[in-house]
Order: sequence, then C-alpha cells, then structure tokens
Amino acid sequence: MNFPIRKIALACAAAVLTVVPTAACSDNKSDASSSGDKSLEIAYWNYGPAAETGNKATADAFMAANPGTKVTLTPVTGENWGTYYANVATLIASGKHPDLMLISGEGAQFVHANNLVLPVNKYLDKDADAKALTGDIAKGLIDGFTVKGDVVTLTNAWNDMVVYYNTALFKKAGIDPPKADWTWADFEATAKKLTKDTNGDGKNDQYGFTWASNEIFPGIMPWVANAGGNLTSDDVCSATADTPQVNKAVSFLENLIKEGVSPAPMPMSDVFTRFQNGQIAMFGAGRWPIATLLPKFKDFDIQLYPKGDTYKTVFGGSGYPILKSSKNPDLAWEYQKFTVSEEIEKQYVGTPDKPGDSIPSRRSISQTISKVGVPPANSDLFYNSIDNYPTLVPYPAPAKYSAFESTVLRHLQLIFAGEKSVSDGLKDMQAELSTIVTC
Amino acid sequence: MSRILARIATFAILVVAALAIAAPFLWIFRGAFSASDAELYKLPPTFSPGNLTAGNFGKVTDQVPYFRFFVNSLIVSTTITAAQIITCATAAYAFARLKFRGKNVLFAVVIGSLMIPIQVTIVPLFLVMSKLELTNTLWALILPGIFSGFGIFLLRQHFLALPAELEEAARIDGAGHLRTFVRVILPLSGPSIATLGILCFTYWWNDLLLPLVMISDTDRQTLPVGLVLLAGRFSTGSLGTIAAGIAMAIVPVLIVFIAAQRYIVQSIASSGLKL
Amino acid sequence: MTEEVVPPAVRRGAPPKKRKDGLAALGFLSPAIVTFLVFVLAPTLGVLYLSFYDWNLLSDGTFVGLDNFDRLVHDDRLLHVYGSTAYMALVILAVNVVAGLLLAVLLETRMSRWLRGFFRLSFLFPFVVSASAVALIWRFLLNKDLGLVNYVLGLAGLDRIDWLGSSAWAPVSVIVVNSWKTIGFSILVYIAGLQAIPAVLKEAAIVDGANAWTRFWRITFPMLSPTIFFLVVINTINSFQIFAEPRVLTQGGPGDASRTIVEYLYDRAFGDFDLGYASAIGITFMLVLIVLTAIQFRLSRRWTFYE
Repeated sequence: MNFPIRKIALACAAAVLTVVPTAACSDNKSDASSSGDKSLEIAYWNYGPAAETGNKATADAFMAANPGTKVTLTPVTGENWGTYYANVATLIASGKHPDLMLISGEGAQFVHANNLVLPVNKYLDKDADAKALTGDIAKGLIDGFTVKGDVVTLTNAWNDMVVYYNTALFKKAGIDPPKADWTWADFEATAKKLTKDTNGDGKNDQYGFTWASNEIFPGIMPWVANAGGNLTSDDVCSATADTPQVNKAVSFLENLIKEGVSPAPMPMSDVFTRFQNGQIAMFGAGRWPIATLLPKFKDFDIQLYPKGDTYKTVFGGSGYPILKSSKNPDLAWEYQKFTVSEEIEKQYVGTPDKPGDSIPSRRSISQTISKVGVPPANSDLFYNSIDNYPTLVPYPAPAKYSAFESTVLRHLQLIFAGEKSVSDGLKDMQAELSTIVTC
Repeated sequence: MSRILARIATFAILVVAALAIAAPFLWIFRGAFSASDAELYKLPPTFSPGNLTAGNFGKVTDQVPYFRFFVNSLIVSTTITAAQIITCATAAYAFARLKFRGKNVLFAVVIGSLMIPIQVTIVPLFLVMSKLELTNTLWALILPGIFSGFGIFLLRQHFLALPAELEEAARIDGAGHLRTFVRVILPLSGPSIATLGILCFTYWWNDLLLPLVMISDTDRQTLPVGLVLLAGRFSTGSLGTIAAGIAMAIVPVLIVFIAAQRYIVQSIASSGLKL
Repeated sequence: MTEEVVPPAVRRGAPPKKRKDGLAALGFLSPAIVTFLVFVLAPTLGVLYLSFYDWNLLSDGTFVGLDNFDRLVHDDRLLHVYGSTAYMALVILAVNVVAGLLLAVLLETRMSRWLRGFFRLSFLFPFVVSASAVALIWRFLLNKDLGLVNYVLGLAGLDRIDWLGSSAWAPVSVIVVNSWKTIGFSILVYIAGLQAIPAVLKEAAIVDGANAWTRFWRITFPMLSPTIFFLVVINTINSFQIFAEPRVLTQGGPGDASRTIVEYLYDRAFGDFDLGYASAIGITFMLVLIVLTAIQFRLSRRWTFYE
C-alpha cells in the first residue's frame, strides 16, 4: 500500500483553506448581529485584580442605572500596554468587534491612525451634560486625547510624572524638602548629597536618583520636556530626537551616571523596592507606585520635576474610546460618560490603606485625595500640576508607539552604558525614528 | 588511592554545580516568607527571623483566584502530557521500527515542525482556534500542545537504542505491532517516557504565551498569567507576594518530578535490559 | 510474520509487494498526524501566506509579492541580530552538550539513592520555574550597582561589571541564565540515555581491565551517541530560538547586543504590527534552522552509532 502522501496533501490544503480567508481578515459577514438590543461589549486591559474588580463594578453600576442594557466585558491580559494592544488587535483580526476599548494616551494616535475610533466631538457639542463634565476635567487631559481636532475619548484616569523622594533620607542628610521651583542644579546638588557609601566598602550603595530604563514617560520625557524639547514635532509627524534640547536632557542624565549619582538604569519594578530600602533616594513616576508603597512605607513625599530652561508637566491618561464598529454608539457614549462620573471616579481616590493607583480626571474628585488623607502629604500637587503649569501636549506618541518607544530605549541603552556619545547616539536614534514617525 | 581522589573530585564538582544551580531559589523561598519587600534587596543580604511571615500566601489567594488557576493549569498540563505521550510514543514506534514509504520525508517534517517559532505562528493559530470556536476555552491551550516533534524525536532515539532481539522474540511468538509495542517496547521505555512526561508537564505548566493570547476570562486563566496579574500594572506588585506565587507554582512540578524520578530508577531495576 | 494484521479490504487497493508496514504505520502515526495538520501545519502555512502580505491585524491585508523578503536582505539590524543569536546559541549549545554530559556521567557514579535524587532535583530546579521567576532572581543578582554578584566581587576587591547593560557582558549574562535554565533538561535526557546502556557491557569491560577513560570512549560514548546527537539537534533548535531571557533581562540590549531573532520578529509582529515582515523573518529563520539541522543529520552518520 502506498503511504497516503496525497491524502495528507489534500488534508493540508483543506486546513489551509480554513485559515486563509480569516488571515486576510475583515470579512465579518458571519456577524449575526444581535444589535437592535441595548448591548455593549467592552475590552479592557486586565493588568491585575484591581482592573477586573474596577471594570466589573463600572459595568454593573451602568446596567443598574440603565435598565435593559447588557454590558459584556472582555478582559484582555497583557504584561504591559504594548502586549495588551497586540492582543486586542488579534481579537479584532479574528472578527471580534468591541464597542469600546480601554486605551492609554499613547494609544490615541494608534487607534485614530488605524481608523478604529469614533470621535466624540459631536456628543460633546450636543450632549447637555457634556459641558459640566469637560469643565471639571483639565484642558490638558482633553488636549492629550485630541488627534487632528478629533477628541478620541474623555479621560477617566491619568498620571503625571513627579519626583518621589525618601523623606527619612532627606532628614538624615540634613536636606530641606525640595520646593516646586527647584532647578536642575539644585536637583543635582541634592542628589549628590544623597549618594553615599553606607557600609564602608569604598563603593557607593545609596544613590541620589534613578529613572526607569524600560519606559520613556517616567524615564527621560520629563527631562526632555523641561529642557524645552520633545521627541516628535507638534503634529507628531516627524521625529526631533537630535535637537539641542533633547541632547541637553540626555547629557544631564548621562552625567548623573558618570558622576556616580545615579546607578546603571534598571527597570521600574526594581526601582520601587530599592526606593523602599533606601538604596535610591529619589525617582520619577506617576501616582501608581503609591499602591505599592502603602500602607507599609510612608516616608516619602512628591514634588514637581526640577525646572530646566522651562517647566512642563508630562502626563499620561486612559479612556474608553467608542469604536467605529459599534452598533450602539449612542449607548457607548453613555458608557464613556459613565466612566467619568463621580460614582466611578471615586474609586480612584482610595483610602490610606488601600490607595488608588491613578488620578481621577475630574478636578472636584481629585481634590478629595488629600481630604481623605491618602499619602503623600503633597497629593494636591497631582492635579495642580496639570491645572497650573504648562503641559507637554501633544504626547510624543506616534501611531507606531511601541516601535517608537523601543527604538528610543534601545539607543538610550548604548548612551547610558557609555558605549556611544550622546550626540552620536541621538543622531542614530533620529535616523531610525524618521522612518517610524510619519504621517 | 587515585580512585578515592576521583570520587572526591566527582563529589566536589557535583556539589558546586548543585549549589550554583539551586541556590538562587533560596532567595525566592525567602522572599515568599518575607514580611518586608525592602529587605529582599538589601546588601549585604540580611536575614532576621523575626521578619518571617506566611502572610504573602494569603495575599496571593486574596488578589487572584489562585486555586482556579491552579486547577486550570493542572488540567491543561496533565491532559497535554497524557495525550503527548500517546501520540509521540506511537509515532516514534512507527519511525523507529516500521518500514513504510515516505518515512524519511515525514520524519524530516516532524523535525521541521520544531523550527518555526510559536511567536510567529500564534496569530494564525489564534485564527484557527477562533474558526473552531475554541478561543477562551482550555481546549485552546491543550490542543496546540498535543503534537510534539520534540517528543517524537526523543522517543524515537530511545526506541532505536533498544535491542531489536527482544521484539523479534515477541514477533516469533506471533505478536502483531500493537502487541509488540504495548507489551515489549513500552515496558522498556519507562525512563524515556518519564523524561518526556517531566519535560512536557513543566513546559506547559509554565507556558505564558498561549494563555495570554487565547484566554480572556480570568476564570479560565492559568498560573503563569496569575503571576503576571500579581506583578500588576507597571510592575507595582509586591515582590514578596510574587515570590509566594512562584513558590506555590513550583510545588506541584516538584511532586511530578519526584514521582517520575522514582519511576525512572525503578523501571531500570526491573526492566529486562540487564538480560 | 506480520501477515495476519492486514485486513483483506486493504489488500485490494495496493499490490501486496509494496505493502510493508504501511497500514500499521498509518495507524501508529494517525494521532500525531491529525494534531499536526490542524495545529502545526495550518498555522505554519498561514505564516507562509502572510509573508506575502502587508498586514497590521487591524485592516485588510494587501498582497505585496516578495517585498517582505526583499526587505530582509536590506535589513542591517537583522544581520546583526543573526550574529548575536548565533554567538549566544552556539555557546549555550556547547555548555549543554559538554557540561551536561559531564554532570550526567558523574551523577551515574556510585552514590546513595538519596544523594542522587538530591543532585538531580537541584539540577532540574531552574527548569521548572517560569520566566517571571528567572527575571526576578537574576535582575537582583546581576544588577550593576546594587546587585549581589558585584557585591561579592567587590568583597574580593574587583570592579563592578555591567552584566546587563554593556555590549560585552549582556550576551554573556543571557548565555549564563539560559544555560542555567536548560542544563537540567540536558542532564535528564543524558541520564535516561545512560541508563539504557546494558550494564553487562560495562561489566565485561571492567573484567577486561579497561580503565574509566577507556570505558567511556569505547562503550559509553558510542552507546550514548544517539542521545548526544539528539541533544545537539534539540539544543541547537532551542538555543537559536531563545526569547524570554533577553526579553526580561536586557530587553535585547544594549543596542542589539543580546537580541535574538525570535525577539526581533516578535517586536516586528506585535510592536510594529508588521505581521507580513515578521512572517517573512520567521519563514527564512525556519529555513536556516532546517539547513543547520540537515547538516547535523548528515554529519551524524559519521559518529552516531545505532545498534
């Protein structure tokens, strides 16, 4: 008997035929739509227990407030925003079409450029409640999610980059807490005083400052912004990585490493723990470390990043844009509005024992953080920084954000390892970014 | 005299290697019982017995449905392991002992299947699963694991090394292929099947890529995803809690290993290999 | 001898002369074939198909012919990444095959069962934990200014080494961590192979007065050669496909110093959403591995001994 190679070939062909039409994607004729009814499907990033309980609570409250609606949640797991987007894209490729999906500020250009999103401008114009809502949301947060005049979504929660400092180490070194108008020179002097050899082996083991090596927002962006620069042009259509401003910011950080004031850069998760055990005196991040530090570790406070040639608040946010494929856009808008309602945003405030991990987008709610007594003492700074100071808008977040960020980080690695000069490194970075940042 | 020296050298090498390889885990177990994350990164390493706690384990089960994940992981890993042993052993027998057309081509295809990284086939695989309407079910994690070019290759090598005389004796007694396989080959293959079992079980126990992509409902996730959830957004999760989660995930694999290892030892003692 | 297993129905279709074990083979292979077709071959053909398309998951794909393959040729980074992958993979391969054999042989010397179990368990330990544990442990050990390894080196008066951040050391760290994780696997496979060697052969050699060294080369090595060959092939394939270690330890850096092909194509697929290009990289990478393996199979005829 012949071995049935031909049969196998046939079976292969059949198997391919089942794959190929879907691979080419987008024929979702089989969407036996259950529209007409009032149902919504929402994709969100399931980054941990807080995300799931939060989104469930929101969905349940929405259904309770709007009888007859049905909200289905699709949690999408991912190690970071990047894998979350990749997994949502895979879902969409397989023919799934959520009505809303959670995005971060870095994702605004991405969903807009891929023509996925239904801008909310028309709802903002005609919805009677909208005025009151947007009046209570800082302008920067709206601008941050505006792409070419289209408001991609209202922001429900956000984070601005601030400097965390260990108050006990400051006291021990006899240094006054930093003021909001401190300069780069003040900062460097402070960091130097906080750099020490505590165990007497002749090498430093306590460092003044470090930044996250694996993300640019809590990493280099505040420094770039305060040097008066940005990594992209204002229309986010071209890269500006080799400008004197960026060079100044990167040189400043590189110099901190050279002088031994900063350790070799490490990923953010390592920074948190090393901040708590006193190996790192200052680092930069949004509000999210608070959930890690509290309730055990309370010896910290926050301050604005020091001023360089200018000061600009660097921030990021999240929201639930309505997708174009939604069959119930009006209901989806109601849901988006609901995510910024007082009832929902209250949960981002938290309590001193169980603090929230981001800042509510509504000013009135955000101001309750310090009233409830959630540390740090300077918590009012979070919202003031976006209300009272200029902001870095637009985000340097082109449509291909993941590629953009990983390219920037890759070149920074070489610069901070001392293997490339700042200007050569930035020149190479710029050359590569120019093919990624386009319109 | 030189024999004693050789034995000392043997043990010295083994002890150093074992320490170098296993010591890093003491840190994980220490972390799992540590009341303070800050202490874990201290230099020189400090250790205060007063700072020990079992509380981290409670935090793991508070934060994620750990036992649900555990059961899912167990179902996925055991099913794949059992299915893989069957598909690989039968296929390996065919490749090692049967004569048929296209054998070499087919074997080349088996080896070739190892060479395409899952990271690139994952999207088409997801589309296949979605066509079969199996995404977001445990089947989406089990089915892709059943075929293993590695397992076929491993068992084929071991079958080839078995003395052919044993089978010939069985054949003369009138046994067909199936009986030879079940009665002669399998009993002699304990060590290699146990090896495949251990390797397969641990691999799928730790697999993160498939569940991240295939599964969305938390109730159907597996342990490695649980660890990602414990790490949280921007890795803000507590080190002690993550270490406790890791420690709890290691234990079942160790049990499988210890059970299988006993089997390796016994099967040699009782096999007909010594003639 | 096997005549009786063939049902008459089959005889009709094919001339009995060519039959051999075809039907039995089909029976034995069918479970593997079915799962292979649906869950391995179909997705792989899907990748091949995608390599001719420009597709970002979200919009309709466009057919671009061989454009993706043309880009491969002009991708300077890809060439560099092939280089760093090969460097790390070959060292890992050597460590696994040579050090793994040494440790396995030492493990099979006479010792108490309890001790043997303890050693085996120690060696396999890293293999049983997930990548997140690996990251957690080694980032603490290898951190340049605040890590344990450099602290210990410092006690010996040595300078701090930038294990994870410098082009010279980052690939070494990946090699160390990956070898640490995989060597238990090689040892385990070696042990299974060693135990399949009939003790009677060794005893005969001892009676003949051969010393340990001669016994290893005359008996153990040839009898073990199928296992060694298996490990060479499998470790080549596995070490060329490393993904997790560079990702969690060095992010492939600095620059591309510790980047691997799989990590590179993953970034193209899920960072850039450039599925077509990632597929083209995947297909060509598969071809490279196939050629490598074919060479190994060819060479093995000279040194692999089957009974």
